[in-house]
Amino acid sequence: MLCRLCLLLMCLSTWPASAAEPARFDSGSLAKIEARYAGKPFILSMWSVNWCGHCIDELTMLGKLSKNEKNLPLVLVAVDSPEDSDAIRKTLRKLGLGHAESWVFDDPIPERLRATIDPTWQGELPRSYLYDKAHRRQAAVGTLDEARLKAWLEQQGQRSGAAK
Amino acid sequence: MMSIMKTAPGRSRLAQTAAALLLSGNAGTALPHEHMPPANPGQAVASRPAKPTLAIGATVDSQGRIWLARVENRALLVSHSADDGKHFSAPVVVNAEPENIGAEGENRPKIAVTRNGTLHLTWTLLLPQPYTGEIRYARSTDGGKTYSAPITINDDKRLASHRFDSLVSDGGDRLAIAWLDGRDRDAAKEKGDAFVGASVYFSRSDDNGASFRANRKLTDHTCECCRTALTWTTNGPVALWRNVYGTNTRDFALAHLDSGELQRLADDEWNIDACPHHGGGIATGGDGTLHAVWYTHGKNRQGLFYRQVKGDRMSAPMAFGNPQAQAGHATVAANGQTVLVTWREFDGQAYGAMAMLSRDGGISWNEPRRIATTEDAADYPIPLIHSDRMQVVWNTLREGVRIMEVE
Repeated sequence: MLCRLCLLLMCLSTWPASAAEPARFDSGSLAKIEARYAGKPFILSMWSVNWCGHCIDELTMLGKLSKNEKNLPLVLVAVDSPEDSDAIRKTLRKLGLGHAESWVFDDPIPERLRATIDPTWQGELPRSYLYDKAHRRQAAVGTLDEARLKAWLEQQGQRSGAAK
Repeated sequence: MMSIMKTAPGRSRLAQTAAALLLSGNAGTALPHEHMPPANPGQAVASRPAKPTLAIGATVDSQGRIWLARVENRALLVSHSADDGKHFSAPVVVNAEPENIGAEGENRPKIAVTRNGTLHLTWTLLLPQPYTGEIRYARSTDGGKTYSAPITINDDKRLASHRFDSLVSDGGDRLAIAWLDGRDRDAAKEKGDAFVGASVYFSRSDDNGASFRANRKLTDHTCECCRTALTWTTNGPVALWRNVYGTNTRDFALAHLDSGELQRLADDEWNIDACPHHGGGIATGGDGTLHAVWYTHGKNRQGLFYRQVKGDRMSAPMAFGNPQAQAGHATVAANGQTVLVTWREFDGQAYGAMAMLSRDGGISWNEPRRIATTEDAADYPIPLIHSDRMQVVWNTLREGVRIMEVE
């Protein structure tokens, strides 16, 4: 009994505190995300909780959009570090993105993770990639334009009311 | 979504830090990262492991001693070495009250030393509210034994963004401190007005830091999150920062603090609605020539660039660094005709501290050299020139502070 309790505690201790705890993004994470979205479009959006005011503007827009677009295929990656998990969770919850898929960089060398996403990316934020069904992706450098995003979602048949 | 509920196994940052501490146990020529107990344990509310604060300040005094300012556990520590980094003095704490001091990425403590040996320090105190901070200053007039109580340089008494400080001394009694300031943006927003970017403010001292003049605004509409840089010329201090031209063109500008007249460093045309988090550097060489380095990803050029500025005349932008290796965060030092530029690259496995040297005032350059590497977290390298010696200071998590000679 005691051992089973130990086991349970050990399991619990490896689980995040809540569903919105950001997952650790390492050099293999993007491949996993892409595999999970195989044949489906999604938005990969990078931000920082520590130093990017423009990111907050973009996330505010995404938070509002996700209210109407319940199935917004959004993957958020914070380029901070796991120590920032609390701040990331709180910020996303405040912006109406508490339910969104959330990751945080987990590497002392962020360049390594940036290179897995795009070797030409020097770290400026926000930065997004719009993946279509065939995973042809377009980069959006700087704050995502709401009109462009909506048009893209329409194209992908992702918007509520649009033909699925 | 199930996939995001799993925590990757992997080493925790705490374990990495502990391993690094063990590895750095043998100091050699490096300064190990000491973990000091907090000065006031009651204020140490860190419920999670502290992030490594690797970004350091470095300068050299008239006797050739190298001075370092670094942050450990909310304390700003100053130490010096008289033997090119083989040994360092016991670090002295500048701030008796622990503070959240910006010391990663584009934020680092600044240290300057005047001819009479006074040490000057500035840093950004990061406040809990997002993007807010204060510009802090302290000095030592007894050769680094004791420090004055830190003062706040921004005088607006607003809870606003005051960050990305830079500090320069003329070597005598005059000092300038510049920073990015959000007071006017906040005031505009309170009135419902639009305001692009932040502002550059500065403060000056003519009495060796005993007092500072009222804050003055240099300009409005600057990028919000790139470091500023200062250099002292025969015509006084000159600042460099990433400006915002038009609605969103984030190219560099420089200005003499006294005249306030802006000069565009380059027509990069980087139109981006984002935070590049990537500033530039500036230094004064012989004949008052300014040597500037910067990063852009503009329409007209992309990567790291160098150019000389003399009055209205500027040399053609010269690209350097390997863009395939994310070359970035360059800094420049100059003395007479000697110009030393350092930056950081990542080759897929390791960070490299890169250096290139000019002996003819920036007209010709030697081949860039990778003078050190590390396979863990790292600061950007800092160039120093003194008594015809060129050195690079680099702080890395595994190796500690290394001081390397450039021939």
